[in-house]
Amino acid sequence: MTTALKDLTGEYAAALREYLEEGGESPLFRAYQIGRDAVSAGLGVLEVAALHQEALVGDLLRLLAPDESSLVARRASEFFAEALAPFEVSRQGFLEANSVLRDLNRELERRREEALEAYRAAQDKLDERRRMEALKDELISLVGHELRTPLTSIHGALGLIRGKVGPQLPEDARRLLDIAHRNSRRLARLLDNVLDLQRIESGTLAFDVRSQGLLPLLEQAIEANQPYAEPLGVTLALGGDPPDVQVKVDGDRVIQVLTNLLSNAAKFSPPRETVTVSAALRGAEVRVSVADRGPGIPEGFRSRVFQRFAQADSSTTRARGGTGLGLCISKAIVEGMGGRIGFEARPEGGTVFFFDLPGRAAVPPPEDGA
Amino acid sequence: MTRRALHRVLVVEDDPDIQVVASLALSDVGGLVVEVCGCAREAREAARSFRPDLILLDVMMPDMDGIAVLEGLREDEGLAATPVVFMTARAQSHEIARYRALGSLGVVAKPFDPETLAETLRGLWEGRDS
Repeated sequence: MTTALKDLTGEYAAALREYLEEGGESPLFRAYQIGRDAVSAGLGVLEVAALHQEALVGDLLRLLAPDESSLVARRASEFFAEALAPFEVSRQGFLEANSVLRDLNRELERRREEALEAYRAAQDKLDERRRMEALKDELISLVGHELRTPLTSIHGALGLIRGKVGPQLPEDARRLLDIAHRNSRRLARLLDNVLDLQRIESGTLAFDVRSQGLLPLLEQAIEANQPYAEPLGVTLALGGDPPDVQVKVDGDRVIQVLTNLLSNAAKFSPPRETVTVSAALRGAEVRVSVADRGPGIPEGFRSRVFQRFAQADSSTTRARGGTGLGLCISKAIVEGMGGRIGFEARPEGGTVFFFDLPGRAAVPPPEDGA
Repeated sequence: MTRRALHRVLVVEDDPDIQVVASLALSDVGGLVVEVCGCAREAREAARSFRPDLILLDVMMPDMDGIAVLEGLREDEGLAATPVVFMTARAQSHEIARYRALGSLGVVAKPFDPETLAETLRGLWEGRDS
C-alpha cells in the first residue's frame, strides 16, 4: 500500500468515527470524499500493477517458452492467469465501491440542495415580511402626518369661531359647535395614539430620561386634566402626603400615562366623586396610584385591560369616548422606562390603577436643584 | 438685550388654511402683528423685510424642511438671533430636545389650540435666554 493510500485510510476511518459519534452531514461528506480519493488511488495503483504484471508475465513467457503453442507456455499462461485473478477481483470491488460512493455523493448533493433551497425560501419570506412591516410603518406615519394638516385647520377654525362668536350663538348651534370642536380634539388624540402604537410596534418609541422630582409631574397632570374632569362633575386631587422623591423618567411620557389613567378614572367615576392621585415609596421604587370610585372592571375583562383596542363594552366607546389604545400605550411607556403597571379592585368599591417607577428619596436634596 | 413684549411674528407655513387659522389666532385673538410666508425658500427674504421678533416655523414643508430653513436663518447675520418656534405633529421628547439643540425656542404641537397659541408663544418668548 502506498503512503498516500495509508493516510487516506486513516482519515477515512476518523471521518466515519466522527459521523457515527456526532452525526451531521459534514463528516459523512468528508468520509465520502476520502473514500472516493482512496478508491481512485487504489484503482490507479491496480492499473499500474496490472500493466507491470502483464508485461512481466509476457517477458517470463517469452523467456520460458519462446514457442507460444508449447505445453510449458500453456501451463505458464494458466498459472499466471490464476495468480492475477485476485487482482481482478479487487479491481471489481474497487469499481463497485466507486459506484456506491457515487450514488451516496448524488444523494448528499441532493440533500444539500434541498436544504439550501429551504433556507433561501425562508430568507425570502423573512425579507418580504420585513418589507411589509416597513411599508406599514411608513404608511401609518404618513397618514398620521397627512391627516394632521387638515385637522389642524378644522380644529383651529372651530376653536376660533367658538372663542369669538360662541357665546352669542343660539343654544343648539353652540352645542353642535362644541361637539365638532370636542371631536376634532378626539381625532387628534386618536392620531397621536396610532402614531405611538406604531412607534411601540416598530421599536422606535424613544425616551428622554432625566432625573426629576415626581411631585411636579403629578401636579401638572392633575392640572392638565381638570378641564376634562370638570364637565363630568369629577374632581381630581392629590391625595395623602406624597414623598418628595426623585425619579429617572421621561417627564412628558409620565404625564401622558397619568393623563390616560386620569381621563379613564374621570370617565367612569360617578359625578361629585373625587379621583385621587397618590405616590408612595416601595423599596427602591415609587408607586403612583390613581384611585376612582367607578363601577370597577368586570371580571371577564380584567385579563384584556392592557390589550390594544380593548374596551369592556363597545357601548362605552360611544357613551364615553376613548380609543381603546390608552392603557396599551401606557403599559409600553411604563415598561419602556423600566417600570410596571397594574390595577386592583378597591375593597370599598372602584379601581386603583398604579405604576411603579425606579426612584430614590430626595435625601439629601440634589444640588443641581433638578 | 432689554426685555420687551412679543410684538411681531412671522408664520412660515405652506398650507393656506393653516396660514389663515394661525394668523387669526395670533392677530385677532393674540393681538400680535403677523406676517405669513407660504414658501420655505422665501422665509429668509420675508424675515429680512418684516423683521419679526419671533418666527413660527412649520417643520414639514414640501420645498424645504423647517430645519433647513432654520439653518439658513442662522447663517444670516441680521437674523441669527431671531428666536424660532417649530410647529409640528406631536414630536417625541428626544425630537423636541433635538429641535432645541438646533437653536429653537420650543415646539408647538399640531393641531394647536387657537385660543392659546399666542399665549404659548409669549411664554416661550419671555422664558428665553437673552
